[in-house]
Amino acid sequence: MGETLLTTRKLSNHFGMVCTARELSLSFEKGVVTSIIGPNGAGKSTLINLLTGHLPVQSGRIDFLGREITRMPIHRRVRMGICRSFQVVNVFPGLTVEENVMIPVLSRSMRAWRPITRVSRDAAGREEAEALLEKVGLSGVRGTPASSLSHGDLRLLEVGVALAAAPTLLFLDEPTAGMNPVERERLLGNVRTLSREGKTTFVLVEHDMDVVFSLSERILVLHRGELLCDGTPEAVRSDAKVREVYLGEDVSDLFRYTRTEAE
Amino acid sequence: MTESRIRYAVLAALLLALAAVPYVSGKFFVYLTMRVMLLGIFAVGFNLLLGQTGLLSFGHGAFYAAGAYGLGLFGAYVTPNPLLGVAVGIAAAAVVALLVGYLCVRHTEIYFAMLTLACGMMVFSFVWNARSITGGDDGFIGIMRAPVTLFGGLRLPIGKDSQFYYFVLAFFVLAVWVAHRIRISPFGLVLSGIRENARRTEYAGIPVRKYRLSVFVVSGAFAGLAGALEALLESNARPFMAHWTHSAEPVLVSLLGGLSSLFGPIVGGAFFIAMREIIQRYTENWMLGFGVVLLVVIMAFRGGIMGAVENLFGRRSAGAGR
Repeated sequence: MGETLLTTRKLSNHFGMVCTARELSLSFEKGVVTSIIGPNGAGKSTLINLLTGHLPVQSGRIDFLGREITRMPIHRRVRMGICRSFQVVNVFPGLTVEENVMIPVLSRSMRAWRPITRVSRDAAGREEAEALLEKVGLSGVRGTPASSLSHGDLRLLEVGVALAAAPTLLFLDEPTAGMNPVERERLLGNVRTLSREGKTTFVLVEHDMDVVFSLSERILVLHRGELLCDGTPEAVRSDAKVREVYLGEDVSDLFRYTRTEAE
Repeated sequence: MTESRIRYAVLAALLLALAAVPYVSGKFFVYLTMRVMLLGIFAVGFNLLLGQTGLLSFGHGAFYAAGAYGLGLFGAYVTPNPLLGVAVGIAAAAVVALLVGYLCVRHTEIYFAMLTLACGMMVFSFVWNARSITGGDDGFIGIMRAPVTLFGGLRLPIGKDSQFYYFVLAFFVLAVWVAHRIRISPFGLVLSGIRENARRTEYAGIPVRKYRLSVFVVSGAFAGLAGALEALLESNARPFMAHWTHSAEPVLVSLLGGLSSLFGPIVGGAFFIAMREIIQRYTENWMLGFGVVLLVVIMAFRGGIMGAVENLFGRRSAGAGR
């Protein structure tokens, strides 16, 4: 067990009568790649929204690196090391690919406040941006406006912008949705390498069970805002409650994987 | 490299042409050119807010007035030194912009626009009613153009319009240069990030509201500079400088010239003043004619006059922040 990065205590959220988080008490350890799964409406995105500050916490408490962050504004959480990517692409459409990643790179130092120096002369920042684009596979299109990228490249940029903030804990909300197999492999390869380097801990929301079971060391299963199961992929796969919930939902996916694994 | 050389050559030629105006043209044209430069300073600063950050303010007349009255009051009660007066005018505008901005930047879009409009009109009615300080509806009159003293000894008179012209030109060049540098700076890049996607900018670790407030104050300071210079030019400061109709001028000229380029608002301003002069010779209702022109430009050319020019030369728009 590594160092604990983030813990929640009795975190709850309701939209009217619908409960999307019910007294969730979780913790995330450094270096453990975690996936959050669950049927539609299970509260996966809500959980990320609560942890990153997108949604105000209605009750409960969140601690990150020993500090309470329950009501901390988004940008200060990012400064502390929590970042995320979005399910729907959410980049800076009118800016070039390089400028997209430059914004978080610059904001990490106080350089973003400089009003008179030139961005183009910021060698350190541009080098860092270039290295990052190389890593996610977008250095060939660095000068292209984000609005003219292909869908797959946009998804890569979406994750790239999140990575550029150099987070300690990074939430990826369905990062591979709509990617072709090559892009998907590249992205998952990045997650593996970066995770092994140990600077960033990844938490993914995924629907693709192949991705979930091949990547994760720990899986959280949510159902109607409740934590149904929390454990290693093996434990989750053999959990009776999980099978019950997934019955009629993603059952084919889950069992197909189990079967091929067994063969 | 050649493209940037051509750009420098064009800029140098424009600057020379501007500097030659008092030598080759009549008094009225010199005066009009000064008005164009004042509106240019006002609009270039304003466009840092509108074009770069995506915030539409209808209250910048208040900061213009703060610059004009700041210079006037400082000149009357402390010293008529014009450089110090301009500095005080800018500072006064920045302080007013800080107060107004603090209230307004927590909102965006139409709410932001309406709040700035309301704050601007509050300043207007204060200026209108505080007769003992501002002179009320008569305006603050009798502002002098004392000589500029540089480096202790050098005295440059600016009493005549042909002399004052270079005073305005110097500040115009300075203001345009500062706006240019802001646009290509890290700060400017963050501002365009806020325009493109404010939420994502927060997830880049940026305190978005602070940046909005900062650029609001900066653009208010530009307005204050323009206001202080107008007070010197007209030797008075008038309450209608703070009126919302005046606040709408930089909005109009930015749209007219093009939001996404540095020079768009200046070109728009020149066009605006030229149109007003020409149409006014034929009819008193010059706004009617101007409205038609504005309609045509906005509907026919995306990106205003500068956008049309760039399309004409087949060049991709340089875009914001580059």
